[in-house]
Formats: sequence, structure tokens, C-alpha cells
Amino acid sequence: MTTPLNTHIQAATTEPRWIRYLLISLTLIFLTLFLLLPLIAVFTQALQEGINVYLTALIEPDALAAIRLTLITAIIAVPLNLFFGIAAAWAIAKFDFKGKSILLTLIDLPFAVSPVIAGLIFVLLFGLQGWLGPWLSAQNFQIIFAVPGIVLATVFITFPFVARELIPLLQAQGKEEEEAAIVLGANGWQTFWRITLPNMKWGLLYGVILCNARAMGEFGAVSVVSGHIRGLTNTMPLHVEILYNEYNFAAAFAVASLLALLALVTLILKTIVEWRVHQLS
Amino acid sequence: MSIEIKNINKTFNKFDALKNVSLTVPDGQLVALLGPSGCGKTTLLRIVAGLEVADSGSILFHGEDATSQHVRDRRVGFVFQHYALFRHLTVFENVAFGLRVRPRKQRPSPTEIKKRVDDLLKLIQLQDLADRYPRQLSGGQRQRVALARALAVEPKVLLLDEPFGALDTKVRKELRRWLRRLHETMHITSVFVTHDQEEAMEVADLVVVMNEGRIEQVGTPDEIYENPVNPFVYQFIGHVNLFHGRLNTGQVRIGELDITLDPHTEVQMAPVVAYVRPHELEISRTSEDVAIAVTVSSIHLLGPMVHLELLPKDSSEVLEAELTKEHYRQLNLQKGDKVFVKPRKMRLFMGGK
Repeated sequence: MTTPLNTHIQAATTEPRWIRYLLISLTLIFLTLFLLLPLIAVFTQALQEGINVYLTALIEPDALAAIRLTLITAIIAVPLNLFFGIAAAWAIAKFDFKGKSILLTLIDLPFAVSPVIAGLIFVLLFGLQGWLGPWLSAQNFQIIFAVPGIVLATVFITFPFVARELIPLLQAQGKEEEEAAIVLGANGWQTFWRITLPNMKWGLLYGVILCNARAMGEFGAVSVVSGHIRGLTNTMPLHVEILYNEYNFAAAFAVASLLALLALVTLILKTIVEWRVHQLS
Repeated sequence: MSIEIKNINKTFNKFDALKNVSLTVPDGQLVALLGPSGCGKTTLLRIVAGLEVADSGSILFHGEDATSQHVRDRRVGFVFQHYALFRHLTVFENVAFGLRVRPRKQRPSPTEIKKRVDDLLKLIQLQDLADRYPRQLSGGQRQRVALARALAVEPKVLLLDEPFGALDTKVRKELRRWLRRLHETMHITSVFVTHDQEEAMEVADLVVVMNEGRIEQVGTPDEIYENPVNPFVYQFIGHVNLFHGRLNTGQVRIGELDITLDPHTEVQMAPVVAYVRPHELEISRTSEDVAIAVTVSSIHLLGPMVHLELLPKDSSEVLEAELTKEHYRQLNLQKGDKVFVKPRKMRLFMGGK
């Protein structure tokens, strides 16, 4: 409720009006320059040569292959990290064990390491000159410069998203509700499905959205392990780079616009989830 | 169902939370574990429930060893300090939870569950709020839901951790009385933890006073109040005045007071501490044979009682006295008045400083 008296009292506790407006306009200018303009540029560039060129760029076989590979990667990487993330967060938040802080640090490793290094680690492990390379090639199983390598690198890069989102949430919720469920006779499985999971579903969804956005958009690590074989090991970001390097700007931006759309959808979903969480608390 | 606690020890990171604790909770009684925070009372309760494992010792339910039994097989009802209601479930579903998670063969039919839960909601007088979520309830309502949820599985014993801790005074008093009545109708062996001596005294059949991981005294509220076994219990149960003195061949000398004790004539020059409750100090205008001269330093009127702070002539330790308003008017006391006090009753403990 705002009455004239109220606003008068509030004014005494906030910054002067000109400072507020200055801060707001600075933020707006910054956002327009660095976020909104590039986004608009992507779409105008993509549609520069007309809608037909735009659509052709998207349904051309190499582009379709890239889109398919990106989706496959995300479909494998996101559920895996959903599972790992829940397991790690559950272990860290609900149990006390030795080496907990080391585990927490390890989870953050993908954030700390440059994606290119992450890609190189996999090349060193599974590449032909790597530790496991000769054995793998004897089994006729290729990881580097093939789909498995791309999936591995993506899983590595996106590992922290779900876990990082859930750990503080689970820690804040404590273990009393789980204890209550067990005292009431629930077994571990029932406790997880009926109590723990419903309590973390919004945090989980948030983590999954971010994880998915990164899985589809990852460039550095995937670029190292993919080998850039057109139609075979190119994901969407890699495909954009190749088109761009070939001066095929309209096609490059057309594919890029798909990624930008994905980002927009992610942001919208994220906002909805945040709003839901806010409603609940 | 009686509970026997035998020689329980528990250590957390080198801190001895419980030191060789043994206790028997008789069948059908309402027992309070009373003590200051950190005395181990909650740990003991959690060990009885099976939520915590003792380093050594055993727990027996009705003579049967339950020490290595899993929590969910012990059939205890546990009410958590902050209720631990399932925040994503309605009041109805919270209460029904324990029935719904039963193995299929033991699970009541949906209509039976509905009836059981409705009965419990009626018992806690919340049948109209069955579809609410915990966050839409007041503290007292949440507390009652937590209790109904614990009772839904028909536990053999009911354990409550600081059940009224987070509520305001008025609600607390109501709930206390309500719990007492509930216990009288259900006769389920119950143990509750509290740090509030008034709460323990008012609600419990039996009070267990704990301090630093040990049990200091077990007794009815009256026994505990009238015959505290040691200075800790004396000080923990209600306000108290301390007098330091010496016991010598049957004579106690405290300040200018001389008191003759028939036994203990063999004791020579031993330090003693005398404990006197505020209402056991008698105040008079005129000096008598055994009395201490004091100055009234402050007067607080608390409803029907008057609380006085008195400063003895030869000591800086303030004495507390309590008297009825009627008596206070008769004496016509003013701040700064010089009066005399005489302990009507005192309890001596050997030792002290």
C-alpha cells in the first residue's frame, strides 16, 4: 500500500532520485550495447538476404547434421548430468563424510578450467597418441574426432550446473524432513521420491535449463575433440564457425540465430521458474 | 510400552554429549527431559528414536532390545523442534504420509486412510484446514499437525523435541494443557525435551533433570522442587538465593546468622552453601533473633506477587524475595527502607567456595 506519507518516509531511506536514474540508465545503456544490439544484429544478418536464403541455410544437409548432433549431445549429456548432479548434491548436502570439501572443489573444476584445456585432456586420454588410444583403436572404437568424444567433453563442461544449483538448496532445507519421513516408516526410495525430489524440483529444473543451454552452445572443448568433419562431427556452434570462416555470412548467422533463439527460450523458461520459486517461498 | 535406557555414551568430535546415562521411562507416563542447552537431552531423545546411534549402551522398548533396530522399525512418533512438516504436501497429506508409505500388504485402504486422517484432524481441531499447506499455518497449528502426523502411525512411544520452543507464551500455555489432556486420553508413553522448567513442571508426570551429559535427578515435579538433590538442580528449578557459610560441630554460621543443626556434629569447619528460594524469605520491620538486616533496593510488581531486591548490610550480593501483594501492603514497603529478613526454610549443601 502506498500512501503519500509512505513515499515520503521511503524517500529518506533510499538514494537521491538523480543517482537512481543515473544507475538505471547506465545499466540500460550497457545492456543495449553489449546484449541487445548483438542479438538484433544476429537476426538482421541472418535475414539480410531474404527468408529463402535463411531457410536454405537451415535445411541444407550439413546444417541439419549439425543440428541433429547438437540435439543428440544434449539428450545424452543433460540426463547424465541430471543424474550425477542429484547424486553429488544429495551426498554433499545430506551426509557427512571425509573429503567433502575436496568433492565440492572437484565439482567446480569444469568452471575453473578453460574449455580448450578440458578438450585437450580428452585428446590426451583417448586420442591415438593418448594413454588409452592404442587400446581403444585395437577395439575399433573411436572416441576422439567422433561423437563419443563430443558427448564426453560436453558432459565434463556441463557437470557443475545441476549440482551447483542443488547443493545450496538442499543444504538450506536441511535433513529434518527426510528424518521425519524415515521415522514415519518410509524407506530410502520413498523418501527420495516423495520428499527430497519434490522439494528440489524447481531448483532441479533451473539447473537443467542452464545445463542444456551450455550443452548446446559449448564451443571450446567440443572444437578440440570434434575434428570438424562436416556432416559428421560438427555441432551447431562449430558449423557456425566454419560457415563464417568461409565468408558465408548469411548462412552462418542463420544457424547462429537458432542458437540465439535457444538462448531466448532458456531465459524465458528461467524467468518462469524463478517466478514460480518466488511464489512458493 | 516402557523405555529402558542403559549406560548410553555418545561423543561428538571429542565432546562427551552423554556420559553413561541410564533411565527407565515407565509405561504410559509423560516424561520431561529438562536441562540447559547443550546438556545432551536432545541427543538422548534422538538416540531413543534411532536417529542417532550411541557409541555404547542399549535401548529397550518393553524389555526388548531395540538398540540395533532401524528407525523405521521402532514405531516411534517423533515431533521435531521446527516441526519438519513436508512443505510441498497439504495438511491432510502430511498426516496421511506414514500410512501411505507402508508396504502394500499393511497399507490401509484409501477410505480407511481418509477416515483415520479425518479423525486425527478432528482431534487437533484442524479439520477445516486439511487442504492448506504448512506455510499457510500459524506456529501453533503447525505444531499440532506435526503431532497428528506422528500419531497417525500409531506409535508405541511419542518423542517430542522442544515441542513448544518456537511458540509465543500464550500459544505455548494452551498447547501445553492440550498435550496434557491428549496424554490423559491416549496414555501413550511420551518423552519430551525442554529447557523451560515451568513447562516440565506443569506438563510432566516425571521430570529428568540433565546437565553436561549426565542425569542429575529423576522425580515427580513436586519431588524435584521440594527436594533437589544437589545445587545444580536447586538453581535450575526456579530462582534461588545463595548464602556461603561454615559448618562447625553442628552449628552453621552464615554471616551474622547462627543456626543449630543436630546431626553433623562430627563435621568441623567445613564450608557450606545454603539455598533459599525467594518466597522462603520472610520480611519483617523489626529485628528478631535470627535475621539479616537489608535495604530494599528495588520493587517490581508482577501481578499478584511482588518481587523485591534486597541489599544486605555486609555483602554486595543481592537477595531476591517474593511476597504476596497483600503482605507487601501490610508492610508498607518503600524503596530504601531498612528491613530484616529471615529464611523460613533453607537447604544446605556441603562444599562450595
